Amino acid sequence: MRPSRTFALLALALVAALVAGVALGAVAVSPADISGALGRALTGAERSPADAIVIDVRLPRVLLAALVGACLASAGVLYQALFRNALADPYILGISSGAGLGAVLVLAATTGATAMRYGAVPAGAFAGAALTMALVVRLASFRGRLDTTSLLLAGIAISYTLAALTSFVMVFAREQMSAVVFWMMGGLTSASWEYVFAIAPMFLLGMIVPVASTRALNLMLLGDERAGQLGVPVERFKLVVLAAGSLLVAAAVSVSGLIGFVGLMTPHMVRLVLGPDHRTLVPASVLAGAILMVLADLVARTVLAPVEIPVGIVTALAGGPFFVWLLVRQELGR
Amino acid sequence: MNAAAARPTPAPDPAAPALVWRDAAVGYGDHTVLRGVDLAIGRGEFVGLVGPNGAGKSTLLRAVTGEAALLGGWLGVCGVPAAELDAPRRARLVGVVPQALPEPFSFTAREFVLMGRHSRLGRFERADAAHTAIAERAMELTDTLRLAAERVDTLSGGDLQRLTLAQALAQEPRVLLLDEPTSHLDLNHRLQVLDLVRELADDGMAVLGVFHDLDLAARYSDRLAVVADGRVPVCGPPRDVITPSLLRDVFAVRAVVGTDAVSGSVTVTPVLREPVGSAPASGPEVFVIGGSGAAADLMRRLSLAGFRVSTGALNVGDIDQAVADVLGLQRVDLAPFEEMGESDERRVRELAARADVRVVCDVPFGRANVGNLRAVVEAGGPLVLAGEVSAERDFAGGEALALLERAAAQGARMVGGTGDVLAVVEQLAAAATGEGPRAR
Repeated sequence: MRPSRTFALLALALVAALVAGVALGAVAVSPADISGALGRALTGAERSPADAIVIDVRLPRVLLAALVGACLASAGVLYQALFRNALADPYILGISSGAGLGAVLVLAATTGATAMRYGAVPAGAFAGAALTMALVVRLASFRGRLDTTSLLLAGIAISYTLAALTSFVMVFAREQMSAVVFWMMGGLTSASWEYVFAIAPMFLLGMIVPVASTRALNLMLLGDERAGQLGVPVERFKLVVLAAGSLLVAAAVSVSGLIGFVGLMTPHMVRLVLGPDHRTLVPASVLAGAILMVLADLVARTVLAPVEIPVGIVTALAGGPFFVWLLVRQELGR
Repeated sequence: MNAAAARPTPAPDPAAPALVWRDAAVGYGDHTVLRGVDLAIGRGEFVGLVGPNGAGKSTLLRAVTGEAALLGGWLGVCGVPAAELDAPRRARLVGVVPQALPEPFSFTAREFVLMGRHSRLGRFERADAAHTAIAERAMELTDTLRLAAERVDTLSGGDLQRLTLAQALAQEPRVLLLDEPTSHLDLNHRLQVLDLVRELADDGMAVLGVFHDLDLAARYSDRLAVVADGRVPVCGPPRDVITPSLLRDVFAVRAVVGTDAVSGSVTVTPVLREPVGSAPASGPEVFVIGGSGAAADLMRRLSLAGFRVSTGALNVGDIDQAVADVLGLQRVDLAPFEEMGESDERRVRELAARADVRVVCDVPFGRANVGNLRAVVEAGGPLVLAGEVSAERDFAGGEALALLERAAAQGARMVGGTGDVLAVVEQLAAAATGEGPRAR
């Protein structure tokens, strides 16, 4: 499929998903009411009673879902290019857990819904993600080679360790237990405009790297050595990419907890359609990740309505089998 | 970028040699692989790097690409110290065809070659028609343009290797580094690629290539540099560098160095690996009469089997003489086209008499060499006779035929080819000495 047409289709699909996300839920809102509410909000006219659902509840939630999906998908694109490994994903590599621990530490140490907390949680998540990344790569690069098995094993080992540490922290932070547990469940239940504004800048900042280095990401697929020979300053580039990836993961994790497999599935599905070229893979994955997450969240809050299930369960139910399929295919392909 | 602007590195100097190592030490981390390297490669020069596995040939190339560290001395690329070249600047000067093929993702061949333009494109610049034309020209040169729309992960190793060369050429480099550039190629494409590289060198590119095939290296290179024992001890024209003694010292191979009939370049025909019998061979002694290559393989195999081998008189320049020389066999050398004299025959007779078994290979005899036959027949004892006893072998006015008939009458064992000779020699030697050859 031609990239331009795919982008147009994806953009349309994202708009449709956003509209559906706002319209559907415990109370259905008609498209006319949505546009009316948006118009009144933008012009500052007096609100009608139903507007609160659209403007204060549903809209920040779908936008946050879109941002989280875009962050995770972009991070997946970055990691998969860097490790030349189709199975790399922030969740599987343990980076999400690292971000989680960082966030939990901050949550445990602070109280109340203060602005400081909104800033500190993402910062803690970023620190956790970056440290975990460094640790996993260090562990996996035995004798300077990063092979799939050691990368996955290191990621899993670190994941478990960090999960245990997270539980350990929770035992000590009894007063904050409910806030932490609520956050840990993984989900967009507590979505608010504050969250949206907290992670939007992180998303934009993190996206600079993938957007500005699509060609270099392509070259990384040929291997570190070849990329260097063709003019990529490999060591520096890796650091920059890992930092950007950690930032994107931290953004997602700090508002939605641990949501798995979006970073794995999205780039794959896009690659199947558009091929491995990052000039199309990056923007298409951002759009597709956003769509996927908005839809997953929609499923999470409507399928058992009025009970909401954590969106992480939805993505894991879809992503787990997908991961197994990939793993089997990769093994068979050898 | 800012650092580069603050302290500009010198611009590449077109007049400077493309690559210069001066007393350079190269390695990885603390581990020095090569030391004391002095080597300069000028524009338009094709230098071949040869040497045994693990000697450091690839490491020498990696010093240029920055994958191995320069631990001491100086390395200049087009007049610029290698250490001051960042990755994009280096990529504009130096193209590489690595030994290991890049992992192929599902890019098309055209996209793959266009990746060579990376260092020539701005961050957000797209490859326009001019860049694409350069990439397609590189594909044309490497005979890969017809693959342009194919996905590289569906191509053969040979196609991928030529595409990698095309990718390197798309960089428009001044220096081309080749690490076993033809390892995945068939005969036809091997010639095509090397002819192309030779042409590029003639047009001004500096080429440094690692080769395992000494014949190819000698044929295409202006000079050969030898890498051995962590040094580059020799660099010069192929004919001066490739000598039996170098092959013995560096590759531990005894080889005949000859001249390629077509290109006139040096050829190497390996005969035996060193060491040939770590102790002096002490098995039964076999005396062989050959000529024009009739005995070459037999002498080689007898030596390998642990026999002591000696030969009759041979002219210098004869292939059997060259092989006997390489094997270090006792023999009688004649000048080219010289006929055997009396003293030659006397010495041949001594060698023949001393041996436990004598072999006459399937060679014709004329005035020049019938002395060999006379000596061996008169020496008596176990004798193996290869080929027919016929007048067709006699160019010595009947004497040779008479000698062959006499040998047959004395009970010489008549055999066909070399393999049969070897088996019969082993039987006879065991009978003559009560022991077989020393097992090696």
